[in-house]
Amino acid sequence: MGGTTPEQDEVRMIETGSNPTRFARGWHCLGLADTFRDGRPHEVKAFGQTAVVFARRDGTIHMIDAFCRHMGGNLARGAVKGDEIACPFHDWRWNGEGRCVGVPYARRVPLRARTTAWITMERNGLLFAWNDPQGNPPPPDVTIPEIEGYGTDRWSEWSWKSYLVEGAHCREIVDNVVDMAHFFYVHYQIPRYFKNVFEGHVASQYMRSTGRDDIKTGVQMDLPDAVTRSEASYYGPSFMLDTIWTESDGDVVEAKLVNCHYPITPDSFLLQYGIVVEKKPGMPDEQAQVMAQTFIDGLEVQFLQDVEIWKHKSRIDNPLLTEEDGPVYQLRRWYQQFYVDVEDVTPEMVRRFEFEVDCDHAIATWEAESREAAARAANAPA
Amino acid sequence: MRPLTCRRCANRVLVEKYSPIHTSVQWLGDARTDCAEFAGLAEAGADSAFVPTCGALRASIDEAVRAGLVPESRFGEPAPLPR
Ligand code: FES
Ligand SMILES: [Fe+2]
Repeated sequence: MGGTTPEQDEVRMIETGSNPTRFARGWHCLGLADTFRDGRPHEVKAFGQTAVVFARRDGTIHMIDAFCRHMGGNLARGAVKGDEIACPFHDWRWNGEGRCVGVPYARRVPLRARTTAWITMERNGLLFAWNDPQGNPPPPDVTIPEIEGYGTDRWSEWSWKSYLVEGAHCREIVDNVVDMAHFFYVHYQIPRYFKNVFEGHVASQYMRSTGRDDIKTGVQMDLPDAVTRSEASYYGPSFMLDTIWTESDGDVVEAKLVNCHYPITPDSFLLQYGIVVEKKPGMPDEQAQVMAQTFIDGLEVQFLQDVEIWKHKSRIDNPLLTEEDGPVYQLRRWYQQFYVDVEDVTPEMVRRFEFEVDCDHAIATWEAESREAAARAANAPA
Repeated sequence: MRPLTCRRCANRVLVEKYSPIHTSVQWLGDARTDCAEFAGLAEAGADSAFVPTCGALRASIDEAVRAGLVPESRFGEPAPLPR
């Protein structure tokens, strides 16, 4: 065996830990708000519960527990009547705040006719629900920012997709925010600059990247030699808003990308992503929409590759890292703040932490690898 | 990680260098108030959580590195913050 120390010979064991049974405190995006405004109740399985989401006549959208406190009927199978949701079983009427306000066949509504209601919010055409196992309202500084000019001519419409991921905890997707190297292998990009900053309830990633010579994706928007600059932040445990500047040939296209999810059970979540692309003055609407679609299709390929990894990987609480990996441990320390009571949030979880990855060695390796692969492909018999 | 004091505002942080390009910085207090540059930005309505770097701190780190005060280290799991 010669030359190895006992430490080098020791087998490294994976500590898998177990998925938390608690669901994170924070704003969670449920999807495009308009999809809930069709006058019908929508069943949403989230945070280990089943909820019904419905719109009142004034357009505000509400989310309450789906199971009627009378005999357990599923309100999502009922009907919206006026501003209330009516149970399909005996027509009890529940309002958006989760109160039973009428039992048509009875003289009185019983005491304690109250069910779970989530606080909801609409931002940038998206619907959000506040989850807090302690039942507190969201602090004013914990919110989702407005996209400047959203709803005006400045941006295309949302191109939006969702995907049910089963067999993985949503921590897997959050880990991605620090995972510099997976951008090459899973997302076909070469990171040129990569920095994370965690502070308070925000976790950010600053990245500059280029495409590979051998594999092209829609994320470069079919622009030649595109350089992508990206500033992405998680606002709490589940909602990432990413500003992306795609620079090619002296032109810059700006886009806002959302990458978000909500947990369904401890080992399943709904992954969602969407994009709006800046409409340049004089650019026809269809062209902006085509760019958004090209991007989102490219993104879908990439996310499905993430999903393929998550579905088959092990949960791992003790990743073995190199100096070229991002700060997984510190990210998870930050992420933990959403899984404990607010009183138990420690300075480690929220104090500012910065980590700039040295990408140089990786870039040299990856440039050579993709150049050689491209050359092989060019020389391969057709 | 090594303690380091910002030359502009006396904010104290912990710094680590794996290589000349890599840098990690663990802040010990509230970045919004402890750092003069971020406090100035806050007055202009900017939130330090969305600011990638404090320029003065960065300059202080670079200077300390040049002076040989931050030797390069290897990966290690984060230690609890000093109380
Ligand atoms: S179970 Fe809902 S009205 Fe009876
Ligand atoms: Fe990924």
